[in-house]
Amino acid sequence: MATFRIFIMLSALFLTASLSYGADLDERLKALEEVSKQQQKVIEEQQRLIEGLKQDLNKLQAGEPQKSTETQVLELKEKVDQVAEAQTRTIPSVFNPAIGFVGEAVFSYRSKGASLTGSSRPGGFDAFARSVELNAAASVDPFAKAYIVANASADAATGEATFSIEEAALQTESLPGNLTVKAGRFFGEFGRLAYIHDHELPFVNRPLVLAQYIGGESRTDGVQLNWLVPIEHYVSLTVGAGNQFGGDVPPNNVGDFRRAGGLNYWGRLSSYVDITPDISLEPGVSGLWNPKTVDRGGSFTQPDGSTLSERERRLTGVDLTLSYKPLRDNQFTSIIWGTEVLYSHNRYDEVNSDGLAFSRDIGSYGLYSYLAYKFHRQWSAGFLYGFVEDAQDNTARTYEYSPFITWSLSHWNQLRLQYTYTNHNAVSGLRPDNAVYLQWAWIIGAHSHGWQQR
Amino acid sequence: MKFKLLRIVLTLLLMTAFCLSAIPAYANKITIVTTLTDLADLARAIGGDLVEVHSLATGVEDTHGVPMKPSFVPVMNRADLLILVGLDCEHAFLPALMEASKNPRIQKGNPGYVDCSKGVVPRDVPKSTDHSEGDVHPYGNPHYMLDPVLAKTALSNIFNAMATVAPQYIAEFTSNRDAYLATLNAKIAQWETKAKVLKGVKFVSYHEHWPYFAERFGMNYFGTIELKPGIDPTARHIEELTAAMKAQHVTIVVREPQFPEKTPKRIAEQTGATLVTLPIMPGGVPNTETYIKMMDYIVNTMVAAVQAGK
Repeated sequence: MATFRIFIMLSALFLTASLSYGADLDERLKALEEVSKQQQKVIEEQQRLIEGLKQDLNKLQAGEPQKSTETQVLELKEKVDQVAEAQTRTIPSVFNPAIGFVGEAVFSYRSKGASLTGSSRPGGFDAFARSVELNAAASVDPFAKAYIVANASADAATGEATFSIEEAALQTESLPGNLTVKAGRFFGEFGRLAYIHDHELPFVNRPLVLAQYIGGESRTDGVQLNWLVPIEHYVSLTVGAGNQFGGDVPPNNVGDFRRAGGLNYWGRLSSYVDITPDISLEPGVSGLWNPKTVDRGGSFTQPDGSTLSERERRLTGVDLTLSYKPLRDNQFTSIIWGTEVLYSHNRYDEVNSDGLAFSRDIGSYGLYSYLAYKFHRQWSAGFLYGFVEDAQDNTARTYEYSPFITWSLSHWNQLRLQYTYTNHNAVSGLRPDNAVYLQWAWIIGAHSHGWQQR
Repeated sequence: MKFKLLRIVLTLLLMTAFCLSAIPAYANKITIVTTLTDLADLARAIGGDLVEVHSLATGVEDTHGVPMKPSFVPVMNRADLLILVGLDCEHAFLPALMEASKNPRIQKGNPGYVDCSKGVVPRDVPKSTDHSEGDVHPYGNPHYMLDPVLAKTALSNIFNAMATVAPQYIAEFTSNRDAYLATLNAKIAQWETKAKVLKGVKFVSYHEHWPYFAERFGMNYFGTIELKPGIDPTARHIEELTAAMKAQHVTIVVREPQFPEKTPKRIAEQTGATLVTLPIMPGGVPNTETYIKMMDYIVNTMVAAVQAGK
């Protein structure tokens, strides 16, 4: 019995040892297989390297040049440049054409009604969405660019938005001889502020003399040629011709056949002098001439009962801008004094109260002068003085006095508060008026820093 | 009669324009206009006596606020090369001046238009150009010239442009460029040695002029006094910035000289940081007439500020 037990124990021990040895052998076998696989991979990798080296050797023997480190660096740099360039290239397409909106609202209180002030806006409290402008500009081709300014503003009578194309013009960019041609609808270059949009003026309203003699912005349908005189000093000469100029609605002399004399012709000569690095002077002279106007603005009845019909329009102007802009902190401090004197000398057909008709020339003049002081990056203040004689009756005179203060929260968000006292002499038949304006102007989208607004 | 006279005047004007424009406005020298003074210095270094260099900025202006003077127009009109920083740095004054110059040679796409940012990988390219982020530069931060290593890229671009418009002088240009590069490389090594004490030092500045400089010399650019690029700080922003500077131990306030001293000085006083005034282009402060002198001034002033604060 004891022998049987010993046998059973020895058998169990042997079986256990055998099984254990078998498992160990299996693990070792698997490990050997793994090592063999890895070695196989290494051999294959080495084989590929050998093949590659053989190919390089063959190329070298065949005289094919190898890439140096410098070449590889240059190639890498080129790739980085391409990435950087691609990064910048995507941005302009966002604004192609460059598109921006400008909005402007004017809140005001006037002490007198429209009938007593001659204003197109009512007296008392008024909120006026003066304009919303859509600006778009882009190159047409390598030779020209084009731009459009579409405007929607609230109609004074109905309050409904009226849409108009303020500007839509093509401008050459590669003419020889320092010449540029602009054609289409645009603001003709006359004076210093007439061809600047309302919201870009240094004050809320266009000076009286520009409103009366030009009719607001100097809009025209026509063509304009500008020449930069090729001398050491800056001298710019502009001449143009067009259907109408300024506030003429409809265009002048619309009829069956318009001769050259029925068009408007204008020109401007301007220059610039650096008095010191910080102080500059910009003088300019301008002229506008329509040799033959027919019913521009209709007939005007004079106080003595006679009627006037304009037959020739002549307007000349002299402007001067003196600027102090310290180079170092011009974004924080500047003083600008701008003055413009206009002389209107129109010829009229006059029919007097006795029915006799004759030709009559009426000369009248007006001016504005303003001082704007920037005392902070966000703040500026100034004063505008204006005076104008009625173009049809030079004894009727109007004066304006306007202190204003401007708060520019940023380039694109600006508030302006202005008080205006307007006075008229007895001949004008109008009453003095006190008005307070709050203008809020904003820009979204693409914006450019234009030459005119410098 | 009046129209006949008008026609004669117009014809005469046109004839005069063509005749005068045919007269070469410069003699043998290459006329170069640069927007900023650092680029003018590099152009002079390469061109030597063979070039006539005009910089629109004198050095004291803000790089984004050079006044748009009509007196720049005649010199731009006769320029062979217009050298600019690029990355929209000059957007407030250059596009209108270029148009007014009526010079096709220097318009974008022509060999005379030299954008020195070509080859520079811009930092801080904004994900959006929305104005809620201020007057952002859509192509990235344009102030790479404050990294002297990236100035070598500008140097290379200027050299290539000069060699293209005046290949007859390529030997002189090459010799001048190599000489300048040798000097600049030696100075860079010197600046890097000096600037070891700047590593990890935190600083703020008025405008975001310094990310390239900070990266080159291992500094920690903590923030700006401006609320956003081109937007003046609000009282709340100053309060938050001051608190964060105290908490994070920001030790230097940089004021660029074209910005008012009042706010940076107040922040420095409130946080115990050292206020330094650093130029952003040659001529911005006295004794910084050249690019190398300017970088010398910047590195030395920064190092002195750090050492004074210890």
